[in-house]
Amino acid sequence: MTTATTRTTPTSYLASVGTALPGDPVDNATLSKVLGINEEWIEVFIGTRTRYFARDLGTGVVRWSLADLCAQAAERALAAPGVDPSEIEFIVLGTATPDTLMPATVNHVADQLGLDQIPTFQLQSGCAGAVQAFGVAQSMIASGQYRTGLVIGGDVCSKHLDLQRDVSGAAPGDLVNYVLFGDGAGAAVLTDEPRGQGVALRHVLNRFTGLGRAPGQVIEWFGLADRYDDRQALIEDYKAIEESVPVMAVEILWEMLGELDWEADQLDYLLPPQLSGRMTRRITEELDVPTATDISCVADTGNNGNALPFLQIEKLLERMSGGERALAVAVESSKWIKAGFALEKM
Amino acid sequence: MEPVAIVGIDCRFPGAPDTGAYWDLMMRGADGVGEVPRQRWDAKEFHSEAGEEGHSNTTQGGFIADPDAFDDEFFTISPREAAAMDPQQRLLLQSAWRAVEDAGIAPRNLAGTSTGVFVGIMGNEWAQLHLTDYANVTAQLGSGNGYCMTANRISYHLDLKGPSLAVDTACSSSLVAAHLAVNALLSEECDHAIVGGVNVALTPALSIFYTQAGLSAPDGRCKPFSAEADGIGRGEGVGVIVLRRLRDAIADGQRVYAVIRGIAVNQDGRSNGLTAPNRWAQQDVLGAAYRRAGVEPSDVVFTEAHGTGTGLGDMMEVKALGHHHADRGGKPMALGSVKGNLGHTEGAAGIAGLIKVALSLHHRVVPASRFAAKENKQLKLRDHGLRLLKAPLRLPAGPTVAGLSSFGMGGTNAHAVLESAPGHAARPEPVNGAAPGGVGAAVFTLTAPNAEALRRNLLAQADAAAARRVPLGPLARSSNRVKAGHRHRFATAATDTGELVARLRESAAAPELLDRLSGRPAGRPRVAFLFTGQGSQYPRMTAGLYEQSPLYRHFLDEADAALLPHTGRSVRDLVLADDAAVHSTRWTQPALFAVGYALGRTLMALGAHPGMLLGHSVGEFAAAVLARALPLDGAARLVAARGALMQELPPGGGMLSVKASREDVRQWTEQEPLVGLGAVNGPASTVLSGDLEALERIGAKLAAEGLTTRELQVSHAFHSPLMRPVLDRFAKIAAEVGGGVPEIPVYSTVRGRVLDGEALDASYWVEHISATVLFGDAAAALLAEGPTHLVEIGPRPVLSGMVRRLDQPAAGAGPAHVLPVHGPESAGPALAEALAELYRGGVEPDWDAVYAPEDRVAHPLPPYSFSTEHRYWARNPVRAPGTAAVATAPAPAAHPEPGTGPASVLTLDRPGGPADPVADAVLGAVRLVGGYTDIGPHDRLYEDLGFDSVMIMELKNRLEARLAGIGTLTVQDLLPRLSSVGDLVAFLRELGATVTGPVNFGTEENRALMEEERTA
Repeated sequence: MTTATTRTTPTSYLASVGTALPGDPVDNATLSKVLGINEEWIEVFIGTRTRYFARDLGTGVVRWSLADLCAQAAERALAAPGVDPSEIEFIVLGTATPDTLMPATVNHVADQLGLDQIPTFQLQSGCAGAVQAFGVAQSMIASGQYRTGLVIGGDVCSKHLDLQRDVSGAAPGDLVNYVLFGDGAGAAVLTDEPRGQGVALRHVLNRFTGLGRAPGQVIEWFGLADRYDDRQALIEDYKAIEESVPVMAVEILWEMLGELDWEADQLDYLLPPQLSGRMTRRITEELDVPTATDISCVADTGNNGNALPFLQIEKLLERMSGGERALAVAVESSKWIKAGFALEKM
Repeated sequence: MEPVAIVGIDCRFPGAPDTGAYWDLMMRGADGVGEVPRQRWDAKEFHSEAGEEGHSNTTQGGFIADPDAFDDEFFTISPREAAAMDPQQRLLLQSAWRAVEDAGIAPRNLAGTSTGVFVGIMGNEWAQLHLTDYANVTAQLGSGNGYCMTANRISYHLDLKGPSLAVDTACSSSLVAAHLAVNALLSEECDHAIVGGVNVALTPALSIFYTQAGLSAPDGRCKPFSAEADGIGRGEGVGVIVLRRLRDAIADGQRVYAVIRGIAVNQDGRSNGLTAPNRWAQQDVLGAAYRRAGVEPSDVVFTEAHGTGTGLGDMMEVKALGHHHADRGGKPMALGSVKGNLGHTEGAAGIAGLIKVALSLHHRVVPASRFAAKENKQLKLRDHGLRLLKAPLRLPAGPTVAGLSSFGMGGTNAHAVLESAPGHAARPEPVNGAAPGGVGAAVFTLTAPNAEALRRNLLAQADAAAARRVPLGPLARSSNRVKAGHRHRFATAATDTGELVARLRESAAAPELLDRLSGRPAGRPRVAFLFTGQGSQYPRMTAGLYEQSPLYRHFLDEADAALLPHTGRSVRDLVLADDAAVHSTRWTQPALFAVGYALGRTLMALGAHPGMLLGHSVGEFAAAVLARALPLDGAARLVAARGALMQELPPGGGMLSVKASREDVRQWTEQEPLVGLGAVNGPASTVLSGDLEALERIGAKLAAEGLTTRELQVSHAFHSPLMRPVLDRFAKIAAEVGGGVPEIPVYSTVRGRVLDGEALDASYWVEHISATVLFGDAAAALLAEGPTHLVEIGPRPVLSGMVRRLDQPAAGAGPAHVLPVHGPESAGPALAEALAELYRGGVEPDWDAVYAPEDRVAHPLPPYSFSTEHRYWARNPVRAPGTAAVATAPAPAAHPEPGTGPASVLTLDRPGGPADPVADAVLGAVRLVGGYTDIGPHDRLYEDLGFDSVMIMELKNRLEARLAGIGTLTVQDLLPRLSSVGDLVAFLRELGATVTGPVNFGTEENRALMEEERTA
């Protein structure tokens, strides 16, 4: 019998990926009809065409919880060839919008998947949460103690989609919150040997860089004591975001390339930060890696937070062939977190 | 040895009514032990703390719930026979059925195979209670008792032809049974083996024995290897597993819980006492099992111990294990025993342990051993290379080896070595991955012997599907494969699991919905395909189906490829695009042909094989291909040429539909040489075809007569004299293509009848162009042959309505109309629903074609949920001798809720009905013999009432006693007339039977006997 003790820090491999988007896509025409926001404004200034909501736009009824979407995505990842659900030894979920503060949503996901007696983690984070989850999973596998794990990212932003509110006179900064976001989840199975898709996770970057800096984005939560406070649930400093995210993205790209000892022209695919259709286009231009194919999804899926990297990976895997390399860049503007990861198909 | 796979499991243990609950009980470290139920014996009467003679020192034990419930109707066992059966037989029978289902096999599919049945059992208390009451020993009691019958009954009811035997080696019985089963599989004596163990405590005898032998724990609980261990507590249970050679299980894509790598049995011979545990024999059997498995002791990660919790037993077992494990490197071997949760389940102990180990390897975690926290330090476990499972042990990824011990009181010891399922077997590869498949929706099916059972099982399936995320395709496919074989067939289409759950619950709640979604096919279905003709086409017809169904896509692509050389442009692309060109006859004809061919072939691939074909006009080409009268390429060439030639004809032709008979319109067509009779769709539905101006003239005259007319949206005057210019050129092509005699009967719309050995050749297709479409005649001829299902093959239903308007040739319900495509919105779900309807009507689909290859994997479903309505038990609980017989017993054979008796059985003798003394007498006799309360003339003696030869002899005697004028009945006379109770009554009347005694003979006597016999 083989023992795991002789193994040297194993590389992690992405064996499969699955995603879940709730219901039918909601286009700008529908959104403008429901919310009274100018359709053309959305197209020109945001550049997002469709998004998906877990909440019914007509009735406001919640049709899917975050746990539902995460479990749906995970089930798809677990159903892929070369993957065996009974091998899952841990779960890491990254999200900014858990269903409840307790129990952590990851445990409901485990329950829905029929997984038991395994460590579960939930990372409270915005756009970098999925990358952080990859980081934790990679470390666990590298420890030699675990061989197969499930990495999940997802967000249900429509919790803040107040359908009762009249936004006709709202400022653009406020309006953006209604048109930018969407809901969704993604999941990937990570293994210590190339199986299924057989894509090596080469490097994961996670770094807090916001010392002394005001947050670019705040999502409040309310309890019994402060639930009637007249605070905005969602605050974004769009000026700061527009200014800083492209700069940070470029730094992440070059830091990762340096760490990997890859040349920019060796990159076959680039997975840029997915803020909105328009912002992502702008950042991609600034990243300026013309030889790499851009893999973006936000214009069709909306900004669904921690689901985005999985949606990008899913698109990537459709075309990636053996020996090709991809690099993903993510920025969480809340407290200015740099994130990224690199993939290489075996 | 060659590895043997555990592929199916079912069990019931104290506090755990099924396998899932058993696992939960163990994982929660829960206690299944409680007070002795009043139903068994009066524990207080037999209790003595000091353990006096004839007494037990405990009133506790591990008892299963509802041991008296038995679904006799499911197995067509008469109530009288059920009441005479040892409950251990009944429990095993139900559990065996469920275990086979859990293995992903419809139990009926094992019928006639050499499947073996091996049962471990050591309790025979039912016989001790009943076979000693000599005055009341009946034929049923004979077969209701005895170890052999526990196994033989399973073989009988499942019709299994392999070895069938029961083993008694006391507490090791069921692991020894597994040993025999493994050997039978390895010697290829059988390909499937059902291994069971059972133990039901009916008397306090063993409790008293354990007490008197100083082995009984005062709290009735085994505390294995614990400092508090003070003896045995008794437990009950039933467990059944299904075994196969691992290679066979993998080849069949079965889910494998775990693998038996080695198993050994020995005896301690003339040890120091017949019943004393023997360390040396135990260590030998461990060594033998390790050798047979080819493992080193240090490979074994955990062992499920015999672990009865007696001081001596625990010590011996630890020493025997220590012999092999004391000097192992690394971690000590983990040790535990489920007896801490259940008590000692005696004859079922081996199977309880085997199931625990299999589930542990399956779930990759070993439950904690109850009472392990307070370890018995004197055992010095660490020195023996052992540690107690004080907490659940999570197993690492990769193969894990485990051991299982079961030791018999008389010294017959058994040990098994198990391993986790190989990675690829735990999750089977898709079956037949290359074959195209998938209709774009799933079809969930379930069968049951009656409507109530259907409801109960629909709810069980709904609950399981709702409990956690389950993939719909594999779930539905498993329902098709496993839940088959009973008379009532439920089927519904679904596109996601949530929708399915809702539909199952609605069906269980609403009788009319259940009625609509279920069928009771009486005979073999006769399916007819009706292919639509021109007029049914529209842009993007069947586009939804093409997108969703890979199977349909495959066949439409095939038709398109056949047409392409003759059309020059992809007909498929034209059909799928939103292109009005589909209405020009050049494209209409090949497009309808492609759709008809693809839909027809799709249904055939799904297992719906037509016995009759009919095509309306151009629909006849696809019918001819399906009938193998034309090759696909030839038909494609003909249709393309036909459409193109007709397109070239000058405009100016049209068609006029008239609500009149062909005779009524003849006078008008005779006056107009350029107008002919295009089609006769029914007795009052005729289509005129020809020159537009002439049609206008006729139309005006018809309107003047008050007849309804309608101009059809067609480009040309099909089936009219205006078609003549194309005939010569078409004939040349048709001659090259040729054509043969259909292999499936074709009801020709040229001839208006079935073709009788006539070829669908060039002259037929030439005549077809201008001949009147005799749809009404052809359809009437087809209906006269009694089809059960008319499947309309086309982009929208047209012909079904026409058929409905025809006068039905025969009285009765008429055929079911099945519509795989409803119209523009139709896609996968409609096709799936059409298949569901065909299945409800008796068609046996080729289910794999319904699902995409990746969905063709085994998925476990909850096993059959048996009725608990009927209960059978000993008349009175066991009492100490000399105690007054007080009626403290719960009502025997009581229904759990009064008034919920089965309502589906028809009765002949409802109070107030017309008096028929002979029928009453016969019904009374049948009731008495079978122990039924409620039977009717439609009940079949064998199939419904479970009569056998012994019962028929008794029935004959009872009939002779009750009826005069029938002379001496011989069994030979009787046998041919026993198809149903009504048949028997008719036969006796023919003989001139009259009643000897009072008319109501039987009612009172019957009731009294019923009470008595049900309690047996």
